[in-house]
Amino acid sequence: MMRKSPMKQESRQTISGVDFKEYFQPESIQKALEIRAEYGDQIEVAAGSTDLLVANYEKLHEIKYWLDLVKLDQLKKIEVIDNELHIGAMVTHLQLMKSDLIKKNLAVLAAAAEDVGSPQIRSRGTIGGNICTSSPAGDLLAPLLSYGASFKLQSTEGERIVKAEEFFTGPKRNSMETDELLTEIIIPLTDNKREGSWIKVGRRKALVISTLTLAVVLEFEGEKIVKAGIAMGSVAPTPVRLKGIEAVMVDQKLTDLDYKALGREVKASINPIDDLRGTKEYREDVAVDVMVRALKEIERKVSS
Amino acid sequence: MKKFGRGMATIMFGFGYGEGFPDHSIASIEIKEDERIVIRTAAADVGQGVITTVIQIAAEILRINPNYFEVVQGDTHKTKNSGSTSATRQTYFTGNAVKKAAEDMLANLYHYGSLEFRSNHPEIAIEDGKIYMYDDPDDYITYWEMAERVKERGEKLEAEGSFFPVTYSPDENGQADKVYVAYTFLSQVIDIEIDTDTGIIDLLDVYSAIDLGKAINPKNVEGQIEGGTVQGLGMGMMEDQVIRNGKTLNAGMTDYLVPTSVDVPKFKHYLVEEEDSEGPFGAKGVGEPTLIAAAPALANAVYDAIGVRFFDLPISPSKIKKALKEKEENS
Ligand SMILES: Cc1cc2nc3c(=O)[nH]c(=O)nc-3n(C[C@H](O)[C@H](O)[C@H](O)COP(=O)(O)OP(=O)(O)OC[C@H]3O[C@@H](n4cnc5c(N)ncnc54)[C@H](O)[C@@H]3O)c2cc1C
Repeated sequence: MMRKSPMKQESRQTISGVDFKEYFQPESIQKALEIRAEYGDQIEVAAGSTDLLVANYEKLHEIKYWLDLVKLDQLKKIEVIDNELHIGAMVTHLQLMKSDLIKKNLAVLAAAAEDVGSPQIRSRGTIGGNICTSSPAGDLLAPLLSYGASFKLQSTEGERIVKAEEFFTGPKRNSMETDELLTEIIIPLTDNKREGSWIKVGRRKALVISTLTLAVVLEFEGEKIVKAGIAMGSVAPTPVRLKGIEAVMVDQKLTDLDYKALGREVKASINPIDDLRGTKEYREDVAVDVMVRALKEIERKVSS
Repeated sequence: MKKFGRGMATIMFGFGYGEGFPDHSIASIEIKEDERIVIRTAAADVGQGVITTVIQIAAEILRINPNYFEVVQGDTHKTKNSGSTSATRQTYFTGNAVKKAAEDMLANLYHYGSLEFRSNHPEIAIEDGKIYMYDDPDDYITYWEMAERVKERGEKLEAEGSFFPVTYSPDENGQADKVYVAYTFLSQVIDIEIDTDTGIIDLLDVYSAIDLGKAINPKNVEGQIEGGTVQGLGMGMMEDQVIRNGKTLNAGMTDYLVPTSVDVPKFKHYLVEEEDSEGPFGAKGVGEPTLIAAAPALANAVYDAIGVRFFDLPISPSKIKKALKEKEENS
């Protein structure tokens, strides 16, 4: 008897090819908000989609409704209004790192944007997406915390301004409601001298989820620190602002501070975990040393 | 603080399946009337460039521009066994099979040439796709015309070659006359910098000296060295499969890291062309040998930089930072 040919294997993978029901690409914020209000958590809000497409890999067909923000040109601007910088939610990492306004006033944010992913990711990914994904490792989040940023959330009911440190509530969780959209990021400007440092620790030089990030922003009157913003990513369930340490630094001269002691304070204020990117012990030890490095860097910048 | 370190490693690598395995490759060559020379081989070009290599080899033997060649590759209906693209064996095995097929073809060109010109082969010249008598170069016949003539005779201008070297299985003491067909040698020096704040290794320069017999295509050889070394360095400092309770925790490339183009160090290559007696034009294999020295050289460079020996890979920032801390505490 002839050998039987092996049976053809049935594929058990669900077939995509099922189309979404609706794809909206509104041209006004008002229209976008109405759609958002109507569909609530049924609709996926798409900005650059760099997080969205990864999160829905092989199950894109399960998404029924899309709200694509790409045509909202109002959200792609960076402007100064009343001594505040307003960054539209659809501003990309590439825009941030290229913008003279950002480089001059928010150098730490520009540096962080430059460290995101790769050129492709930076030209698609947006600041709004980075914030709304609310990953503890989101690279823009520590800088936004250290600059004292606030987020404007809009719905058909109105708008509210939420401070960055109140926005993030857990890993990939935040206080945005299902009828809201993030439209703007607002950061106060200052006439004082502002210097900062950005440190991203990752296991390779590109396309890497941060093992730890540190953003330090200091404002000076003369030699005195009048305002300090210190924040870290990937060391706790949310990006964290280290207010206790900020308080210690305010009203001091930078060079009078004990950098190593501050580093140890940083270590004591964070709560990292072991994961594939690094151990808890690693993150704590590195936190001490990068804090010292950041302060030395600022000292160099201030004195030059 | 940044600490500089330099490390070196030397390896040897016996290639081919070896150990008495019936390892071989079969290739054929056909000259067509329409100005094409077709090589048939099952050797899979997975990016390493074996297709380029066999064309170069055949073109050299057949004394004609490589542009005329076409390769039918890896088709079980049209090609005979060439063995796998593995064990660093294709240049050596399929290179030799193609070389033999080309030599057979060349001999046939002489044969049909002597019939055409009614003369003996020492009087006949073969060059640039033309066959003629030395004393009358203007009266030539091209390979393509010759293919036509041969076809008229009801034959094909076709040749086949195979390479089937003998190796021996080692005895109970691990000894044999010839376990592998040949060995490739590589020495590598790697310069690095370690950031003591973060435990991160920065790859600076890699110097490689490889005894490869003969570089049939030096650019492809450089590609192999750079690709292999980067893979080895990935193994040395990044690639880390973490298994807990039988489950792989890093199930995707997001947390199973390999170096990106911006992590790659600068390279300098030294090709040592000590021709092998059996390889095609003296060539030996240059695939896997390029990967092996990288991790040990890296480990030596790390030792040079911070005085700590690591015995398991990858040498991750977490391990380096911990070692630096322990070293400080113990001093
Ligand atoms: C290969 C790769 C590398 C990456 N590297 C990095 C990196 O180094 N650092 C880093 O921080 N991130 C990185 N990311 C993650 C991602 O690119 C960034 O977080 C990016 O900023 C997300 O922006 P987006 O516009 O693409 O977001 P999207 O994917 O479009 O949206 C993300 C989430 O936010 C919601 N959303 C977006 N905009 C709004 C809005 N205006 N209102 C309400 N909800 C909104 C979406 O519904 C979705 O849930 C990487 C991603 C990839 C695929």
